[in-house]
Amino acid sequence: MNYELAGRSVRLAGPDREVLAACAEHLIAEGAHVLDVEGGEPDIVIVAGARRAGSRLLGDTSAADLYAAWDDAVDAVDCYRAAAQPMTSRGWGRMVWIGNAQAKSVDAAEDEFAAVVSLGILGLHKVIAQELGRGGVTANAVLRGGEANDDDVATAAVFLCSAGASYLSGITIVIDGGVGSAVF
Amino acid sequence: MDYQLDGRVAIVSGGSRGIGRAIAETLAREGARVVIASRTESYLDEAAGSLESAAPGRVHAVAADMTDPADIDRVVSAARSRFGTISIAISNVIGHVIDAQREGEGPGAGTFQTLEPEEYRREFRQLFISSWALAQACIPDMRAQRWGRICNIGSSAAREPATQLPHTLPNVVRPAVAGMHRLLAARLAQDGITVNNILTGGILTERNASYWRWLADSRGQSLDQVTSVVNEAIPIGRMGEPKEMAALVAFLCSAQASRVTGQSIPVNGGASVHL
Repeated sequence: MNYELAGRSVRLAGPDREVLAACAEHLIAEGAHVLDVEGGEPDIVIVAGARRAGSRLLGDTSAADLYAAWDDAVDAVDCYRAAAQPMTSRGWGRMVWIGNAQAKSVDAAEDEFAAVVSLGILGLHKVIAQELGRGGVTANAVLRGGEANDDDVATAAVFLCSAGASYLSGITIVIDGGVGSAVF
Repeated sequence: MDYQLDGRVAIVSGGSRGIGRAIAETLAREGARVVIASRTESYLDEAAGSLESAAPGRVHAVAADMTDPADIDRVVSAARSRFGTISIAISNVIGHVIDAQREGEGPGAGTFQTLEPEEYRREFRQLFISSWALAQACIPDMRAQRWGRICNIGSSAAREPATQLPHTLPNVVRPAVAGMHRLLAARLAQDGITVNNILTGGILTERNASYWRWLADSRGQSLDQVTSVVNEAIPIGRMGEPKEMAALVAFLCSAQASRVTGQSIPVNGGASVHL
């Protein structure tokens, strides 16, 4: 499949550097190039939220812990927003969030911070889909669950950046090997 | 139906006006002892007076900022010393207002492209921390008696963001709050504690009315023009009343609803489109 990503520029952001490295590998193989953190006007922004295995909303959790977790969402907003105007000027843009599948289906993995941060981003994507859709910009999510590895997640994220994914916006792809129990 | 709420102790944040006040009144009429908390003392005094006539001796008012965990702890202590062990926590805090002069008391308005990232932090405090901290403060009492009811007054935006309105902030934070309650429900079920989230839509409170006035002004339309469009979009054909919210909340707090948990339930006159 030709993803038509040759020459596209990519900003990779967020704390989960491992999955971003897997994305970079696939994007570069498709002819895109990854920008330095500071400069440039990316065609594609991929943000990967933190993985905090065992994070719990109850117990010893403090409000400060929750604000720190929510900063992942705030940073994603910042990163998307910096890219939005140049994307709409060019009439093409892709925003992708990589988060946690517990946003859709409670499981035993207990990364509850990642779940609530991802739900905020899913709401944000609906806003962006509406606000920037006519500017050729899409915003979609890949949620990791089960035993999914970085490559499983990255290939879905890179698909969402492809030319063929141009009519997908505000959607969520769960990569969990089928363990999630939510029907929709 | 006897909801078996006689003597149960409840805390209702944002309890001085609108939906919160209607919930406080309904629970008190069912026999619960209710502490209402909100920031503005004048509203609080007025509410306490009228609730005292509706349900004498069953309502206590405390002025507090229910987005501040320290203030929430103070309200919880006051409720314990006034009425006893807490069984019911209703979180009902509105989204932060960015510019009341311009926007009325509606949700802080702005698009994805215009809103500064800091606004998302403020909204998180307002909607998420307020609800989480109230639950956190009341859970020890609920666990001790193996009975508890936690309800959050959320918004239909949690499941269906109103992307045609400039409500980016609640559209982002409300789903996170709904998820938090879903997770709490899973973790607390074994303790006899239920956790549910109400998805409001089109409930005609004073605050909501001030928002429709703002929207009408900002669009150069009359109030009737705006509200008639809203009413037409609601299958039941009208906006709801606060007591219609309170009815569901009281049911969810009842002994009968002990197996209803982890749900996000709309009270919106049939206006949802999701399945």
